Amino acid sequence: MKRLPFTRLLLPALAVLLLTASGAFAQQDMTHVPTEAFKKLTRPPAAFAHDAHNEKAGLTDCTACHHGEKDGKRDPASDTAGIPCADCHAVAAKAGKTPLERAFHLQCMGCHLTQKKGPVTCGDCHKPAAK
Amino acid sequence: MHALYDLAVGPLAWLAFAVFILGSIYRLMSMRALALKKDAAFVAYISWPHAIRSLLHWVTPFGALGWRENPGVTIVTFLFHICLFVAPLFLMGHIVLFDTFHGWSWPALPDGVADTLSIVVVAACAYFLWRRLSVPEVRFVTRSHDWLVLALVGATFLTGVLAYHRIGDNLFMTTLHVLCGEAMLVAIPFTRLSHMLFGFFSRGYIASEFGSVRFAKDW
Repeated sequence: MKRLPFTRLLLPALAVLLLTASGAFAQQDMTHVPTEAFKKLTRPPAAFAHDAHNEKAGLTDCTACHHGEKDGKRDPASDTAGIPCADCHAVAAKAGKTPLERAFHLQCMGCHLTQKKGPVTCGDCHKPAAK
Repeated sequence: MHALYDLAVGPLAWLAFAVFILGSIYRLMSMRALALKKDAAFVAYISWPHAIRSLLHWVTPFGALGWRENPGVTIVTFLFHICLFVAPLFLMGHIVLFDTFHGWSWPALPDGVADTLSIVVVAACAYFLWRRLSVPEVRFVTRSHDWLVLALVGATFLTGVLAYHRIGDNLFMTTLHVLCGEAMLVAIPFTRLSHMLFGFFSRGYIASEFGSVRFAKDW
């Protein structure tokens, strides 16, 4: 069959491409909170280096952020690491659900206020990219 | 500083709103009681049609003789008051705080527009400050309360603009901004800022006297 070599070549090529692409979005390379789900950004993305943050904060439990949901409430028992936040937190959420922007603000600001550490004001997270 | 910021955007914010709303109701009710007790005959002459017609003239730029006398002051006064209300009520940073902690949200102005309106307020405050210092007839009627309210409004908007532009330590500037704003809210019922509550009634009364007693316009 003529199509066979094409598939043989294309599949590994796709696999390589996907691996490279996912590498670019891997948590160790993360510099900002992911904003792909938002149609339009009104402020610069919030600075967030995943690994450096967790090391500094002494965070080892992924569910501190990557929580699940049970009966419409936050469920800290289920680990959702690896699932994009926007998969559950829609940008325009239905009533009773937490929209993405509020989820991000609550997650970061809420914890920083409780811990009395880390940025809490608009300008300390939403900084223009360093030139 | 975290603890102070937390206090300022939490309990102190509710305290400020409560003092502002309850204080305003108290001031309006007690002024009404005083007017009925001391000036019941004058209150009887209050005429809504005259009051409303006069107010419509006075809320229109150059709609009253008083506004035509000093065009510069008129333009700054109108710009100042419009920006003073529009900028904070439709500011994204303010809406985000309500959205994050209470789930209340409403449309926001683009950041650039809100920034410009806030700078207009600061510039207008600088103009009013210059007027109070340099114009003899204004200086003559200026009392300590006037400096206080000008400083409260000026400081609130200036710190807001500085925080937005990330000038100075952001946590310090933002906390200072929130505290100044709360002081301003609390000051509304109890200082000369109470013209926000009483201005319409004073004008309404003058219009009624001019309209139904003197048969004259008060604009």
